[in-house]
Amino acid sequence: MTADIDNAPVPAPASKAMIAPGRRWLRLRSMLAVLATQLVVLAAFLAFWEYATGQNKAAAFMFGSPSAIFKFLSQMAADGSLLRDTYVTGLETLLGFFVGNCIGTLVGLSLWYSRFVSRVVEPFVIALGSIPIIALAPIIIIWFGTGLISKVAMSTLSVVIVALVTSYKGATGVDPDQINLLRTLGASKFQIFRKLVVPASLTDIFAGLKLTVGFALIGAIVGEFMSSSEGLGHAIFKAGSLYIIPKVFAALVATIALALALTFAVGKIEQLLMPWRRQLR
Amino acid sequence: MTEVSVTMQVGPGAVAAPAPPLVVEHVAKSYELDGGRIMPVIGDLSLTLREGEIISIVGPSGCGKTTLLNTLCGLLAPDAGRIRWHGREVAGQPQNVGYMLQKDLLLPWRTALGNTMLGLEIRGVPAAQAEDRCRAMLDQLGLHGFADQYPSTLSGGMRQRVALARTLVNEPDVLLLDEPFAALDFQSKLLIENDTVKLVREGRRSLLLITHDIEEAVSLADRVIVLSKRPTRVKTVYDIALGGDRRDMMAARQTAGFSDYVRQIWADLDVVLQ
Repeated sequence: MTADIDNAPVPAPASKAMIAPGRRWLRLRSMLAVLATQLVVLAAFLAFWEYATGQNKAAAFMFGSPSAIFKFLSQMAADGSLLRDTYVTGLETLLGFFVGNCIGTLVGLSLWYSRFVSRVVEPFVIALGSIPIIALAPIIIIWFGTGLISKVAMSTLSVVIVALVTSYKGATGVDPDQINLLRTLGASKFQIFRKLVVPASLTDIFAGLKLTVGFALIGAIVGEFMSSSEGLGHAIFKAGSLYIIPKVFAALVATIALALALTFAVGKIEQLLMPWRRQLR
Repeated sequence: MTEVSVTMQVGPGAVAAPAPPLVVEHVAKSYELDGGRIMPVIGDLSLTLREGEIISIVGPSGCGKTTLLNTLCGLLAPDAGRIRWHGREVAGQPQNVGYMLQKDLLLPWRTALGNTMLGLEIRGVPAAQAEDRCRAMLDQLGLHGFADQYPSTLSGGMRQRVALARTLVNEPDVLLLDEPFAALDFQSKLLIENDTVKLVREGRRSLLLITHDIEEAVSLADRVIVLSKRPTRVKTVYDIALGGDRRDMMAARQTAGFSDYVRQIWADLDVVLQ
């Protein structure tokens, strides 16, 4: 009875080294093809932009140009403002992202515990979720001042409801048969929560995390628009008011880079925390 | 878990025969539908599962077999009647009862070993000891070398074996299985049936198997109980007397009496095309 398993599949590859070299090469080649096409599309777009604005002074003023954007980027890098603004906005975003997701996820998961409490809370959550966060900005600045804390608060508020809803959805989406199974194994409600509900919600929690990277950044930048002395939002707002369009785009490029870096980090953490999903592919 | 009452009666001077692992007496269960209409699912059901016995329960589809199973393991409360485990009525989940469904219900974030350890972990068995027992159980079920793989990399038959290991490693006196092998192909099914019966008989455990597969019911069991349509009651009980080695499902299917039982039970189920 030791080796009589019928239909045993080939054991899944434990590491990439076990994939046949031919298949590995094919995968690499298709990845390279996608990357090359993306680069060509981007280059064509930039070339068209550069060419079109080069023909027309008004267009160059209105739309900037890749070369002017690059000029401002290197200038901002040289005087240190690029790094400083990116750091400030990055810190605000990261703190808001962290605090908002912690609070939202904890509340969302713990609502699983009590059907009664979750039903009481539901309309309030919907009401809070429907407030455009920008409408709260003036009050936030009155309460928390014009410094770091008010931007973190804006960022937190942009994140918290989404985190709450996604984690609650994950927690309540657990298969009832699985809950029954744990009950028949003698699990307490807390054991069911810890061993089943929390890990089962991870997929939804991470979907929420990826979504809220953008929201946290919006919160921080809107906060900077309202009142600030530094940060990428401040740079965008200032350059915009002075009609320096290429500088707006330069700060926007830094913002995009920041968002990509944060999304990438969340993806890496997801891979580390959910190793069973890597074997699925 | 609290014991409601001890109802085992031992008369003065009588030899205290151990109470059977499971006695079901006149159990009834109904559901309230939307609009307040009451739908009776289990009418009046009694049965006794003796120590070391394997009983198969077959019935027409939709006759409330799963409701019966959920009632037995304390996930639903019966409206009437008594369920006694080893002579005692139990509130909530009975102890030492293993439960297994058609769905393997493996947790995708746990390896085969981690899934097997779930029950022991919940009961607070020290991790090292639990791991040794679980590895031994997985080896016994032919999963040697697969302990550290995630369920998504295992075949359906292997996943159900892990689910069986998760159930058996808790050393249950009684196993309640609800069509556990229904989703498997014929060969996988025969092999896992063989292993299940072997481990149940060797461990002197009792098994209540709910199935819609009459051949499976006859080849595994000492008794087959045929249920009626809703509201469910016991229609007929067959004592299965097949010669030969009752641990070999293929041999059981080839014995002389096998097809007679299957034919009788099929006729008894009174299946009609709808």
